[in-house]
Amino acid sequence: MAYEWQFAPVFRYAGLLWQGVLGTLMLTGTALLLALPLGLVLALLRLGKVPVLGRVAVIYIEFFRLSAAIVLLYWFYFAFPVLFDLTLDPFSAALLAIGLQAAAFYAEVFRAGLQSVPPGQWDAARAIGMKRAEALRSIILPQALRNTVPVFLARLVDLIKTSALAATIAYPDVVYAAMRVASQTYRPIETFTVLGAGFFIVIFCLSQASRRLEKRLAVGR
Amino acid sequence: MSYAWDFSFLPHYSLVLLRALGSTLKLAAICLAAGFILGCVFAAARTSRYVVLRLLAGAYVELFRNVPAIVLLFWFFYTIPLMTGIGNDRFLTAAIAFSLYAGAYFTEIIRSGIEAVDPGQWLAARALGFTPGALFRDIILPQAIKKMMPALANESIEVVKLTTVAATVAYPELLYTAKLLSDTEYRPVEAYTTVAGVLLIALLPMTLLLFRLERGMRRSG
Repeated sequence: MAYEWQFAPVFRYAGLLWQGVLGTLMLTGTALLLALPLGLVLALLRLGKVPVLGRVAVIYIEFFRLSAAIVLLYWFYFAFPVLFDLTLDPFSAALLAIGLQAAAFYAEVFRAGLQSVPPGQWDAARAIGMKRAEALRSIILPQALRNTVPVFLARLVDLIKTSALAATIAYPDVVYAAMRVASQTYRPIETFTVLGAGFFIVIFCLSQASRRLEKRLAVGR
Repeated sequence: MSYAWDFSFLPHYSLVLLRALGSTLKLAAICLAAGFILGCVFAAARTSRYVVLRLLAGAYVELFRNVPAIVLLFWFFYTIPLMTGIGNDRFLTAAIAFSLYAGAYFTEIIRSGIEAVDPGQWLAARALGFTPGALFRDIILPQAIKKMMPALANESIEVVKLTTVAATVAYPELLYTAKLLSDTEYRPVEAYTTVAGVLLIALLPMTLLLFRLERGMRRSG
């Protein structure tokens, strides 16, 4: 059966789609702002010397890593507000679900990065009279972060893919915009082809950058 | 926290929930099997001597790894009926979309497993007079599988989690059933929490297996 492709109607709604792109960027960006500091704290707790806090961090990380993102989304949107008797807009629910989960993934990225720094660096820092916090800030973290950049990008790709699920709780991201365009133009195939192509371009570039950086870092060592 | 939990409606729906779990497991099993087979085929193509096969397999991997699964799902959801005339089969749609998505990840896992085997093993086996088929089956594959077991277990968990996205096209798996339950009983907290719990418990054996595999890997170096 020959299908007649018509992209023109979809492009007439380009404005709506671009608005959706903004929505996706907003969500991904704020989720990152939540996930990065929280992830670092979790990684430090997990590697730290206090057993109880380390266990808590491990349970947090494993729980969120094992939970399906869309289940978290539904839970934070439909269950969480009822449980605590508050109102939550789709953005806040999506930010909580996606950000808290991303924190677990970034915690593992930071942990790997911190562990990749040779322990001798800690000893050397102590030998020249640095305190733990100071050594962490100016000796360990700079090296650890450098090592994590490729994985950081890989996790960013996952974060972008996960944020696409926020459309299911009616957060106006690019997927939600595409759903609206599809129903208004009666051209779902073309709309989702355009959407898929857009995602492909962005994510492909990020994955390539991640792979290149990984190779360069491997050479630099 | 003043919320009064009430799970008393759940026993009435135990059959519904059981059937939903069955649907989730059915979709997961199909996607795992099909994804793994696709992964084997495309990994063989990616490591083949022929440029055309390598390019084709590379294009497949990049295409399906760099688009969010939900976008793929929507694309197939609209395209399959319009292109093939097959009616709107939600199971088929989800199975095709997620198998192709998972297959791309399995391809990369299997490929890197094969490439992680010491090249000397190929040379030694050939020197001993192994035929190419026997060489791959008896020498390379057993070593490669051992190396890729943790990644395979991890990806399998991801596939099970992924099946919950099929709720967005109304495939009656666990998450979709939670939505139905919460809508009919006005108990979103209990419905979504139960389903999240059931999913976590279903994933527990796989997670424990993954931990054991990872520990085993570390021990054998």
